[in-house]
Formats: sequence, structure tokens, C-alpha cells
Amino acid sequence: MDQPQILWFGWFRADIIQEYAPLFWTGLQMTVGVTAMCIVQGSMLGLLLGMARLADARHGVAKAVCRYGLRWPATVYVSFFRGTPLFVQILLMHFAVVPLFVNPADGWLVSGDLARDLRQDYGAMITGIATLTLNAGAYISEVFRAGIQSIDRGQMEAARSLGLTFRQAMRHVVLPQAFRRMLPPLGNNAIALLKDSSLVSAVGLAELSYAARTVAGAYSRYWEPYLTIAFMYWVLTLGLAWGVRRLEARYGRGDTR
Amino acid sequence: VTGLAVIAALVVASTAAAQTRTLVVGTSATYPPFASENAQKQIVGFDVDVINAIAQKTGLRVRLVNTPFVGIFASLDNGDIDLIVSGVTINDRRKQSYDFTAPYFEARQLLAVPASSPVTVLQDLAGKKIAVVTGSTGDDVASRAFGKTSPNVRRFDTTPLIISELVNAGVDAAIGDNGVIAYRVQEHKGLKTVADPAMPKEYFGIAVKRGNAALRDALNRGLAAIIADGTYTAIYRRWFKSEPPVLPKS
Repeated sequence: MDQPQILWFGWFRADIIQEYAPLFWTGLQMTVGVTAMCIVQGSMLGLLLGMARLADARHGVAKAVCRYGLRWPATVYVSFFRGTPLFVQILLMHFAVVPLFVNPADGWLVSGDLARDLRQDYGAMITGIATLTLNAGAYISEVFRAGIQSIDRGQMEAARSLGLTFRQAMRHVVLPQAFRRMLPPLGNNAIALLKDSSLVSAVGLAELSYAARTVAGAYSRYWEPYLTIAFMYWVLTLGLAWGVRRLEARYGRGDTR
Repeated sequence: VTGLAVIAALVVASTAAAQTRTLVVGTSATYPPFASENAQKQIVGFDVDVINAIAQKTGLRVRLVNTPFVGIFASLDNGDIDLIVSGVTINDRRKQSYDFTAPYFEARQLLAVPASSPVTVLQDLAGKKIAVVTGSTGDDVASRAFGKTSPNVRRFDTTPLIISELVNAGVDAAIGDNGVIAYRVQEHKGLKTVADPAMPKEYFGIAVKRGNAALRDALNRGLAAIIADGTYTAIYRRWFKSEPPVLPKS
């Protein structure tokens, strides 16, 4: 029986990884690039959504606009993206939603040869970045909302009574304090995003997991490719966690006495 | 050493048990007309009818389990399933790790392209984007022709996904086994199939664990019997509306 070959050293066939090294290398770049873009865009979307969920006014029309035009849509949006599996969102986006907009025959946004080129060269990347951004935005909006709500109401009231506008008070008084509290959960979201990016391999985005699936498919071997990318993901998440700690230390300086 | 002995004992025990218990058949049911799931969650198709006919002839009891193709050999390795009947092409690489029965289907790789495509042979796809199922024979063909790590080879989990990607113009062509590709292309008016005459004949076989000669021989006897008595021909006609080719004996 050649069954318990995992018991001795030398079972790890590094030559397989070597053979597919270019795929792992471009995969690593793709994973890092997509994650970085989605963290930035997801944070911006999250900020807007978080604000929308907090929008309120005292009287009449403005109150109705805030409620039905901002809070409700934002709540439904966040609920959908947090309440459905990311994997489902990715497949829906790639095979159903994006083809509506980008389609050589009759795309709503782009059609003709440009659509074909876009779809062929960047199809999976468009899906990946769009879905991960929309998804991360929903999670991050909750971080912003909680962060802003956690700042004592008195801070806003004091700033306003000093003559600052709402916008100024938000920007210079509330958000800087909230941001400090939001850093740890934002870091968690960034790490989750990095790991979630692996799901986009299902639509053929050549990132790290795609490289591993390719090798597993070609050799029917699973230790080598998956252990390799597990290690790479681990190093990446450690790096992210370290970055977040540095940021916390930097923005938390005022807290230590 | 005790660990090894225990493992060895378990292996022996499980091999002995395999003769009497119901055999678990792994099949990836996204592969009509070979295997797909119907509305009642039953797996139906050519593969299913063949293995059931073999089981009936040999007295083996079998139960089909829908297993994603990408992990199907690992499932055989770790004993989740006892045999694979899932349009598996017999090739040298697979023969190194698994034992195969005699062929039960003759296959060729077929290209699917948009109806307006000028492609006539595989080499016309140089520099073009190609969708294949991860680890499939189509993946092999594309990887060999255009490079294993080429960004132009796009890998997906299932045949429906590569056809969707082609329909949505994400790729210029899809490559897969003739039976499945022809079946899928019928469903889409904008597509056509292209047969490259240079593509070699291939054969589908039933895969069992390396060294499980008892099971392989039993399956071979059953296969020979259903070919001899015409059951195989009837099944072939039902799913492919044509006469079966003569299959090699091993």
C-alpha cells in the first residue's frame, strides 16, 4: 500500500509548485491588488452607507427624504449583502448581472467589440472587484455607523454650540474620534475581505486559490497547492494585522497618559 | 508502527467489507447526458444507466453520490466513494494513481465557439481565451497546446459555467468532451461545435482505487456482459440517438 505516504518526509512534491510558479506569483499579485482596491472602495462606500443609515431631520419633507430616500434603501442594501452568501453574490454578478450591462449583443452600458474585450480581459476582475466592494461596503457601513453612534452626543452638541456647522463638527470632531474606535473592526473586515477574495476563483479570476485549484485539478494532489496558498494567505493576513496595529498605535497616541 | 498496523488492518477490513456492503459511486451530476440531477434530485444519464446495468448483472449493490469533479479523485483516495463513473477519461497520468475498467465510452474533445467564429482547428485558438473545466481532459488539451500557466486558459468548476462564459463572450471558445459539449450547444442557438480531426480518440473508464483488482474485475465482467447482451447498445441509443462504436476490450 502506498497509502500512508504522508508519514515520512519528502511527501511534499515541491516540483509541482515550481512548475506552476508563474500562476502562483500572478495569483498573489491579483489577490493583493483586488483586496487593496476593495478595501479602499469598500471603505468609501461603507462611509456613505453608514451616513445614509444615520441620516435624519427634524421636520416635514427633509424628514421624509431622509427616511425613505436614504435610511430605508441603505438598510435594505446592507441587509441583502450581509444576508446572502458572498459566493451566491459572485455567481449572480458574473453570470447574470454583469452580462446585462456589458454584453456584445445588447449591453445596457457597453456593447459591441469593447464589451467583448472588456469581458474577455477583465470579466472576472470586474466581477470580483464589484462584488467584493459592494459586499465589503455593507459590512463596513455597520462599522462606521457603530463608530459614529459610539461618540457621545455631547461632542456634537458642544461642537455645534461653538458655531461649527454640522459638516465641520462631523469632520473635525466626531469622525476623528470615531475613526480611532473603528480601526480594529475595520482591520477585521480587511482580513475577511482578503480571505473572501478566494471565492472569486469560481468565476475564473486567476488569483491564489485559482492557482491551487488548477494544480489540484491537474495532479489530483491537494496537500501541496492548498498548503502553499494557506501559508501565503496567512503571511498576508499577518501583514495586514500588523499594519492595523501600527495605525492603531499612531492614532491612539492621544489616549495614553 | 502500531498506527501503521491499525491502518493496514482497517484497509484489509474495509476491502473485505466492500464485497458485501453497498458500493458508493461518485459522479459529478452537472454533466448531461452522462449524469445530471433531475427535478426529483435523482441522478440520471448514460453513466447512471451503465453502472446500474453493470450492478444488476454482477449482483453488486451501488448507490450514486453527487460529487464535484474537482475533488472526485480525492474522494476516491480517502474512501468517501468506492468508484468513479463520471465521464472520466482514461489517461496515463490517471493510470499511475488509479485502476480503470475497460472503456465504456469513446470520446473526443470538441470545441464550442460562437456561430460566426472562423475557428476550425485547435491551433486557431492560439492567443484566444479558452474556457475549460478544471482538471478535465479539455484542461489538459488547452494546457498542453497553450501553456499550463497561460492566462488565456480560464478554468471553471463545471461544464454549464464554461458554456455560460462562452455565451456571455467572456471567452472565444470552450473545450470539453464531445457528448457533453454537443448536448450543451444544442441549447444555445448562437453557438456551434467544431471537431478538430487531430484530436485523439479517448475512452471513458470506471476508476477504482489502485490495487482494488477484485472490484475492477467484477465491473469488467459486468461491462462485458451488458455489451454482449445488447443492454449497452440500448442505453447508448437512448442517450445519444446513434449506434455505439466498437469499444476496445481493455
